[in-house]
Amino acid sequence: MAIPNFLYKNNRVLLKELTKTDFKLRYQGSVLGYLWALLRPLMMFAILYVVFAKLLKIGGDIPHYPVYLLVGTTFWSFFTECTNQGIQAVVTRGDLIRKICFPKYIVVVSATLTAVINVLINLVVVFVFALIDGVTPSWTWLLVPILLFELYIFSLGISFLLGAINVKYRDITSIWDVLVQALFYAIPIIYPIAMVAQTSATAAKIILINPISQVIQDLRYTIVTKETITTWSYVGEENFFWKFIPIIIVIIMLIWGSWYFRKKSKKFAEEI
Amino acid sequence: METKNEPVVISVKHLHKSFKLPTERAWGLKQAIFNRLKGIKGYKEQKVLNGISFDIYKNEFVGIVGRNGSGKSTLLKTLAKIYFPEKGKLEINGTLIPFIELGVGFNMDLTGRENVYLNGALLGFSNKEMDAMYDEIVDFAELRPFMDQKLKNFSSGMQVRLAFSIAIRAKGDILLLDEVLAVGDAEFQKKCNDYFATIKGHQTVILVTHDMGNVKKYCSRAILIENGKIALDDEPQKVAEAYEKLWS
Repeated sequence: MAIPNFLYKNNRVLLKELTKTDFKLRYQGSVLGYLWALLRPLMMFAILYVVFAKLLKIGGDIPHYPVYLLVGTTFWSFFTECTNQGIQAVVTRGDLIRKICFPKYIVVVSATLTAVINVLINLVVVFVFALIDGVTPSWTWLLVPILLFELYIFSLGISFLLGAINVKYRDITSIWDVLVQALFYAIPIIYPIAMVAQTSATAAKIILINPISQVIQDLRYTIVTKETITTWSYVGEENFFWKFIPIIIVIIMLIWGSWYFRKKSKKFAEEI
Repeated sequence: METKNEPVVISVKHLHKSFKLPTERAWGLKQAIFNRLKGIKGYKEQKVLNGISFDIYKNEFVGIVGRNGSGKSTLLKTLAKIYFPEKGKLEINGTLIPFIELGVGFNMDLTGRENVYLNGALLGFSNKEMDAMYDEIVDFAELRPFMDQKLKNFSSGMQVRLAFSIAIRAKGDILLLDEVLAVGDAEFQKKCNDYFATIKGHQTVILVTHDMGNVKKYCSRAILIENGKIALDDEPQKVAEAYEKLWS
């Protein structure tokens, strides 16, 4: 099998069919159907908004805070959905892998693409919400796909690595559940990073070299307000190199993940 | 074997394959760490294919027989490139369509039509190629009025008929079939029998089966596998006799 595997027409057809099936079946048998793709993250947002913005009064001085929060929760949901589906993909599709020979990465990509479709639908809501809340449209909105792509690549790298380990050690799924819970608080989704920066600049910097934080802050910068603290503006005053840490982590994750997945995929059929 | 002047389509040389069978509960991370600390391997090596070599020529209809656990299915899965052999060489010329099981990837919540295209994509056919085959498949299965119904509303016999029709109508150079002959009702069985009779000598088929009747009827050659080795590679008649002698 040559390296530009995804360029094979047949692999693309299979990827398309599997993704279509996944998406079609996701909300089968529910009354509201695809609407749940929108409702679920909106409801999560509503809960967080009531608890954190209204009750705990966090983020009071940030302009358009509801949109700011919505951007955070939307892309965080994307990351968790993407990795959860991606890590599970090989095991869920075990029946296929045991009986047919095809490039195994396709099941991971198709599982994660469903999350991409969902986040694209949600992105429309984010923009509508932003306009209603009085955010001025900006040409920087056009940069959103690039940031989404970065987050996707990162999720894919994680899915490949952990998904491959998960075939043999199913503990990975549970470990990842806990890790995701911890990550939620290690990323400025519900609290503004400025709050952390006030107490400890170092802590804020550590938070910001996490690729997920970088992407979410950049998205807030491009969509909501230019007053957002981003990795680029906050990290690496002494050493310019630090600004590139998140993107380097993303690239390493993808290379490491796909290398490991490729190495292990030969044995998937026997080990599932 | 009279077909020796045809080109070789599958060439297998000294194939070895073994599985690591977990001895006790070696599942999960905890046990894996324990085993490593204690220096336990946690698995037993089981040799399944033990140096298998053969050539299959174009348009041969080869039956692979042997008792349960002799390694037939592992051999078939290795030919289908689902398993990777640890030693030996495998060369395949042409497209190979494996049917280790009928209806792989069939989804109950999709319509019959959607399932045909999904199954086709899994076998490596584009939508366009499937468009060309679709009518033939549906006609052979005799399920045209049902194709827009969800698969869960098909009877199990109908599901198998659809899956089987995809299997034999899929245009590939080499067909791999694992014990999938006896499906459907008597009429459909007859149709399948007729079909196999017509492709005999025109299509390369490798068939794993326990039914010596089928071996004698369709196969132009048969291979008896015993303990991961080829015990006999000869005319179907002789192999069928040898197979029946395994228990006497």
